[in-house]
Amino acid sequence: MSFSIRFAWRDLRASGHTLWVFCVCLMLGVTLVAATGGLYRQIGGALLDDTRALMGGDLEVEARTPLPDDVLAWMRERGTVSLLTEVRTVMGTPDGGIQVVELQSVDEHYPLYGELVLEPGESLETVTSREGGQWGLALDGMIAERLDIQIGDEVAVGSLTMEVRALVRHQPDRSLQANWRGAPALISPEALDASELVGPASRVEYEYRVRTEADAGEWRRRFYAAFPEGEWEVDTFAGRSERIAERLGQVASALLIIGFSTLFIGGLGVYNSIQAYLQGKLSTIATLRALGLRNGMLAAVYLLQVGILALGASLAGALAGFGIALAGAIVAAEEMHFDTAAAGMLPALFVAVAFGLLTAFTFAMPAIGRALSIDPAALFRMIDGSATATPKRWWAATAAGCVLIVLLVVLVLPDPLFGLGFIAVAGGLLALLEGIVRGLRRLARALDDHPALRSRFALRLAVANMQRPGSPLRTTLLSLGSALTLLVACAIVVGGLVRAINETIPGEAPALVLYDISDDQLDDVVNALHTASDAARVDTAPLVLGRLRAVNGEPLRGSGDERHEREARDEHKLTYRANNIDNVTLERGLWWTGEDASGIARVAMEDREADQLGLRVGDRLTFAIADGELDAELTGVYRQKGMQTSFWFEAIFSDGALDPFIYRYVGAAYMSDATALTAQKAIAGMAPNVVTVRTEAILQTARGLLGQAVAGLAVIALVSLGVSLLVLTGVMATSRTRQVYDATILHSLGTRLRAIGHSLHLEYALLALITSLFAIVMGSAIAVPLLAWRLKLPVEAPLLLGVMVALSVSGLCLYLGARYLLRRLRLNPAMLLRSGG
Amino acid sequence: MIELEDLNMRYAVDGQAVDVLRGIDLAVAAGESVAVIGPSGSGKTTLLLLLAGLEQPRGGSIRLDGVSMAGLDADALADLRRDRVGIIFQAFHLVPSLTALCNVALPLEIAGSPDARERARQMLDRVGLADRARHYPAQLSGGEQQRVAIARALVHAPALVLADEPTGNLDKRTGEKISDILFELHDESNSTLVVATHDARMAARCDRVLQLDEGRLIQQRGDELLN
Repeated sequence: MSFSIRFAWRDLRASGHTLWVFCVCLMLGVTLVAATGGLYRQIGGALLDDTRALMGGDLEVEARTPLPDDVLAWMRERGTVSLLTEVRTVMGTPDGGIQVVELQSVDEHYPLYGELVLEPGESLETVTSREGGQWGLALDGMIAERLDIQIGDEVAVGSLTMEVRALVRHQPDRSLQANWRGAPALISPEALDASELVGPASRVEYEYRVRTEADAGEWRRRFYAAFPEGEWEVDTFAGRSERIAERLGQVASALLIIGFSTLFIGGLGVYNSIQAYLQGKLSTIATLRALGLRNGMLAAVYLLQVGILALGASLAGALAGFGIALAGAIVAAEEMHFDTAAAGMLPALFVAVAFGLLTAFTFAMPAIGRALSIDPAALFRMIDGSATATPKRWWAATAAGCVLIVLLVVLVLPDPLFGLGFIAVAGGLLALLEGIVRGLRRLARALDDHPALRSRFALRLAVANMQRPGSPLRTTLLSLGSALTLLVACAIVVGGLVRAINETIPGEAPALVLYDISDDQLDDVVNALHTASDAARVDTAPLVLGRLRAVNGEPLRGSGDERHEREARDEHKLTYRANNIDNVTLERGLWWTGEDASGIARVAMEDREADQLGLRVGDRLTFAIADGELDAELTGVYRQKGMQTSFWFEAIFSDGALDPFIYRYVGAAYMSDATALTAQKAIAGMAPNVVTVRTEAILQTARGLLGQAVAGLAVIALVSLGVSLLVLTGVMATSRTRQVYDATILHSLGTRLRAIGHSLHLEYALLALITSLFAIVMGSAIAVPLLAWRLKLPVEAPLLLGVMVALSVSGLCLYLGARYLLRRLRLNPAMLLRSGG
Repeated sequence: MIELEDLNMRYAVDGQAVDVLRGIDLAVAAGESVAVIGPSGSGKTTLLLLLAGLEQPRGGSIRLDGVSMAGLDADALADLRRDRVGIIFQAFHLVPSLTALCNVALPLEIAGSPDARERARQMLDRVGLADRARHYPAQLSGGEQQRVAIARALVHAPALVLADEPTGNLDKRTGEKISDILFELHDESNSTLVVATHDARMAARCDRVLQLDEGRLIQQRGDELLN
């Protein structure tokens, strides 16, 4: 074995530099896998390790009104209970601006897990107490920095003017959506009462957190059993963990799949590169065999070389991925307030290295097996003409490598369904690709003697090259086509999002959205909006909270169906159509017209809710609202329009049906953003409990987030493209010798150099066109459903963007490839110019 | 040393069977040198391939140093070449990524010899290339490459040395020099030498000259070749 190692190392040192494509392809693929895996580990670990702190307890009982004493007593007997009261409202900033905040008041037990860190380091009770006739407030540090609010500044909250006495530097249960929905501001319960924000129209959330030694699931089961009629929703930390893990897992799986795809495309580079390398080693291999080196030892030499290179490249890739993941984790940690721990990423890096090694061996084995099949007798005859073929056992080893890779992909992906889906789609794509390649070759053969091409020698040659043995068609489609598909999909999705944020939403969504307008404030608020802009369109609609109790007389609660039980406790937002305030589209059934003779109310429900329960048009639904009930016939199912939707109502009733329950409204005002800002300030002064949100403010946050996402996606897509270009470089390097030979023959037969160049350009132009078409179709097949169904965005314009991206990138790449090849052809002028062409 | 009995070899060329060797019987004593001559395609190279265990005969038997090659598997044949056979190719076939010294040391290193480098250095000295030990094949002339190849073939003191047109790729003067070296080393080593060659001078230096004609072996006298 020592000879194998020594020889492998010496040989590699002398000629291994030709394997740079092998190394770079592998390194880039491993970098992506390590970066995405490491980042997932980092964020997932930070969030999932301490879900108790993130949720504020082992369990949380959420209520719209304070819990009755007997319920509280039951809970206190079974754990420590802490109450956090939360109201979403607007805060007047010192510079006269308006900012949506989550106002929170807590009791003395807060927080049950973790530690609240304030600056300066005084107690929350001291900070929020009343001093000199003014209540104190502890403001989230991030929002304070963004709005340039200092300690000692005054802010308006409800009917109070409060002093910012501390900045929150760490809040263990800070919402992951805080930067989006509203940053927390902590005040005392007394100050909350004094703010006059808690009224009939306001949506106050009473979150009772419980710390208990008992099993959380069992605690919840007993709670539901003790209070079967209670409307309260109970969440456990395990349930929260599961949901976070599921969402994180889906995102991480999607990113990892891109990494794996890049790595496997890089595998083609590994194959081409090692094949070209071993082609030059055939004489050495045959000589070593003739000198008496056993086949096993010979195989060990080249497997060792692959192992050495693969390990080096994979370690370098893992290191680069580690750097990227760490940088990403630091950015995420600032956004989501968690501590980064580099050690947590190590398993992901090991996995990435394992994938690198496995990919290298799997893709290299057919080439090694083929090279080792060289007959030493070739040394006595002509080595170039000797036939080599990969023996069956090497194919078997390759197949075993593929199986291992598939298993590892399924095991490693956070969401195994994604993994299986990926494998199935990849298999389907390969089959499709093979079908396309065969079809194109058949077409090229059919065109070979077509009259239209008879007088066009260059084009005929280019078409013929598509179907010759060793044509780069398959590899180009597989490598450049796959990377370009990713690029096109990203371009369409990002283009769709940018268009939505810059054009669709500002054009269709209201400039100002208003929540929690009490019925006695409605006229004043509408007048204030019209005062700000005479021409403004203002839509208002009631907001009634209720639960679905029964379907066709069958109660959901007690049905034994877990989904029904959950739905029965789920609070829904109910309203009227009111000028289609929520931008919804009817999917099934009909809207009602006029009065119904039967007198029964009619209702349309949102598709997600209706589909979860399997509701059908014509069903009789019973809703529990406040202390009463409301029966209605389901006449239709509607779909939210997506990002243009403001309120996400779950049910829309026929006019009049909700009247007995209405004491709160929502509104939407269509005006310029400047007018919306004026109206927002006016409403904050006259109705401080009304929450007003400017669409432009949300869009600004969205643009920032999209910018980061685009940057990340661009890096991933470019790395993927880089790998595919390297693969193409490898293909060209492998086929260059033969193409030079072909060109020489053609030239010696009288073909002018210009014609050879022209034919080469045509061949690559055809390849670019085919690759672009492939990428456009596949990229659109990925992006359009994502945009239409997941993000609910229109897709017309971005499709054109995808087409342009595909044509320009593939055209540029292959043009550069053709230029490169032509330059190499000219390197041998003596051979080419001998016939004076 | 070499015992061939009713040796037959047939290739399929364009679907047609071509008998390259027909009923060859031959015995070569240890230390003897034998030249195999004949026109191109007469079966010289095939005979060497069979003697090296790189191809299997269609019929007949081959015994090397008393060992029958029939029934030996690929590994056993590889071991046989490693321990008892040295091969010199017309096109040298040095490993381009190894220095001259490392190329010569190869057979010894494959066999796990602890003093491989030292013995290789001595052998390089014997062929007059001690000062080129660190040079790579591409940095050597054709004659020098063939001297390295001879050193490699003989470094492990094989019982049998097979040379296929060892001067075929060299000019006349260099070819003669190579021929001198080969026969000097052969005389010193007492190995058996089988040379396939078109070179009459080289053939004449062998103890015996065998001519292959349409697959059959005809014995000739060396001095007759030069006339």
